[in-house]
Amino acid sequence: MSVYVASILTNMALISFLALSAYLVLVVGVVSFGQQAFFGVGAYVTATVTSIYGGHAVTGVFIGMLSGAACALVLAILTARLSGLYFAISTLCFAELCRLGLLQVRAPFNIDGRTTGPDGPEGFSNIRWIFEHNYSVQDFLVLTTVCLVALLGLLFLLERSRIMLRARLVGQDSILAQSLGLRPILYRIVFVTLSGGVAGFGGGLFALFNTYIEPNMFGVMLGVHGLAYAVIGGLGAPIGPLIGVAIDIGLLESIRAISAYRMIAFGGLVALLLILLPQGLISPRFVERMRRWRKLFHA
Amino acid sequence: MDFVQTNIDGLLAGSAYALLALGFSLVFGIMRQINLAYGSSLLVGAALAVWLEPILGLGVVGLFLLTVVACVLAGLYVERLCFAPNRGKTGATVPMIASFAIWMQLDEVSSHLLPSRTHNFPGLEIPPMFFGDLYLRGDQIVQFVVAFTSIAALYYLIYKTRFGLLLRATAGNAETAFLLGAPTGRLRLMTFLLAGLLGGISTFLILSADGQVTPLFGLWSTFKGLIAMMIGGVGSLPGAVIGGLLLGLIEAHSSTQFGAEYRDITTFGILFLILIIRPGGIMGVSAYQTGRLAQERI
Amino acid sequence: MLDIAGISKSFGGSQVLNGVSLHLRAGDRLGLTGSNGSGKSTLVNIVTGYIEADAGRVTLDTVDLTNRPAWKIARAGIRRSFQSARMLQSATMRHQFRVEMNTTTQGLAAIDAAGLSPYLDHFPSEVPLPILRKAEVVRALVTEPKVLFLDEPSAGFTSEELIEFADFLNAHLSRSTALVLVEHRIDLMRRVATGIKQIGSARSLEDLEFEHA
Repeated sequence: MSVYVASILTNMALISFLALSAYLVLVVGVVSFGQQAFFGVGAYVTATVTSIYGGHAVTGVFIGMLSGAACALVLAILTARLSGLYFAISTLCFAELCRLGLLQVRAPFNIDGRTTGPDGPEGFSNIRWIFEHNYSVQDFLVLTTVCLVALLGLLFLLERSRIMLRARLVGQDSILAQSLGLRPILYRIVFVTLSGGVAGFGGGLFALFNTYIEPNMFGVMLGVHGLAYAVIGGLGAPIGPLIGVAIDIGLLESIRAISAYRMIAFGGLVALLLILLPQGLISPRFVERMRRWRKLFHA
Repeated sequence: MDFVQTNIDGLLAGSAYALLALGFSLVFGIMRQINLAYGSSLLVGAALAVWLEPILGLGVVGLFLLTVVACVLAGLYVERLCFAPNRGKTGATVPMIASFAIWMQLDEVSSHLLPSRTHNFPGLEIPPMFFGDLYLRGDQIVQFVVAFTSIAALYYLIYKTRFGLLLRATAGNAETAFLLGAPTGRLRLMTFLLAGLLGGISTFLILSADGQVTPLFGLWSTFKGLIAMMIGGVGSLPGAVIGGLLLGLIEAHSSTQFGAEYRDITTFGILFLILIIRPGGIMGVSAYQTGRLAQERI
Repeated sequence: MLDIAGISKSFGGSQVLNGVSLHLRAGDRLGLTGSNGSGKSTLVNIVTGYIEADAGRVTLDTVDLTNRPAWKIARAGIRRSFQSARMLQSATMRHQFRVEMNTTTQGLAAIDAAGLSPYLDHFPSEVPLPILRKAEVVRALVTEPKVLFLDEPSAGFTSEELIEFADFLNAHLSRSTALVLVEHRIDLMRRVATGIKQIGSARSLEDLEFEHA
């Protein structure tokens, strides 16, 4: 596999983490414009752990994941009383505060003769873990894919649980959910926190792969892309957001005539699709129908 | 005197923010929907105007009209694609999501129309005025005057005409209004047109004062409009005006106190605090998540 | 068991409920009627936590539930149905009951008696209305609630379906559950309720003469 193809696939896998984190939030019935902040926090923390403290990539990414989850938890608790729109704006606010805050953090270190560490708008350079451990692009693709598949596995297990059923109920019909004794805010807090962890994990991997990160990489548009992937792909199953990623970065990018106008095509595609299929391609209904079909097939 | 100067600068800038906030508030106040493509529709309008102007060779006034028309048309496009298709069953979230997809789309359209990092936007050549120690930029005064004239015209339209009455009756109760025979489709269209009009005026004023248009204007105006609207109270028209002016003041003061670098952090920080403490904003709009029924009948 | 005292509510200028009081004991079967828009549903919404009362108290076994959040009231043992037979639209009927913790054998029997067995793998939109309504009842009964509010459950029923629904209720409502049946249709109330109250022009409850069938 060529480096070029491996690169693209790795980027697709990395942004899938962001798309999945958006999915987790959408499932519970809210919109978050702040997932990119958790992604960015994960990136910066992982970079710090591996480059400044010489930690292993696994440690770095795990701590990155926990940091993303922690930030998300704090945000979810602070905004617990806010209804839909206000919550969405507060996530946007929070994310911008993170980005703007990172732009002010300047703590350069000199390690092995190279400058590393967060340096405001100059970014965090020389995240050299993959060089030091001889990871080629193809190797990293394998690593990222394994992590993504593991995450999908966990989410798949979650899908079958009562927690997910209740979360979906809270997301689709909060009034009914409450009449059954479900407390919507709890589900929101849990799922936003989970989403922060997923985004943080992806961000950590991103930092290792890119070897350079800077605050402006984690702006609103990144989060909006993640949301768009989850929305077009569908909220029925975790594969949905991945399909969204595949449509944009895979399909549209590879059609040469469109690739210069990718966002024009993709944006239009999402808006049009939402007219026909408001719940995305892999909608919850669609998934149930598939399950039912399979059952009949076996019977 | 410094204090007064800062306040003046803030109010002048805030008048443009007020128009942006009004654009958001009109759509939310009347249709209960958030148009996230608003900022980039204004950018596209400006981009189109800048792109066409050399071809048509109009003067500044021509550019103004072109900008406003282009912004209105862009707003119409967003309305038709994202908000008009029957959303009865899916509520307010789906159109908002569609609108941010179009946000991405229009941003890219603008980058194609304006490929450089910055493009010249002709300014109004108006000399500054001096009152003792106070310095007032000529074009910002014009901005203030035009903004408030527009606001006054909007006030007249909303509160003194039958059309405005229809709009207010529909406000927040689109479903009921529909059942009572109000032409909600047409009303929504008109609301978007109004928002586009105000936005187009504001866009021209801001860009001519700045002398340039950059691809970042879409995101920038989205933020300013949303923040000003939230400060004043979502969906409230007086709130939008107050919020816009306040935002201008906050920015001017934080620039003076902390330097331009910290201006945005201060703004977002204040907004975040407002959301946590008093999300209803100045006008105290109801914002808390309650299990209670807002408009749904069960 | 359930004590409703002096509930008042006005919307805008109009007073919908004024000093509504009610006392329910275990096993009571109360019909609640009144003209359209008389405030029956408003009362249900207030007691179950979806609307705030302007005045008054709601107490369940000495626990004050006035204006508490709906989920808390549900957990305290007050359940309800909705005028529009709410279900999780994207899941099949089988899953509607999985949301609750304990599905007792009695509950499973009730699912069968409701005629749901052939529809377990169907979406709510594919299930006939009478069966859907029974499903709503079953979903509530599975938790063995102390009080059950049914909000106009017979809307859309034919007379036969209504009689069948009444029989279903009588067969499966436990003797410890109190039922408040908000209804227009007298024949349903006659078959199920032991007493009827109506929201009169004074906006409070008045007893109504009636014969149990």
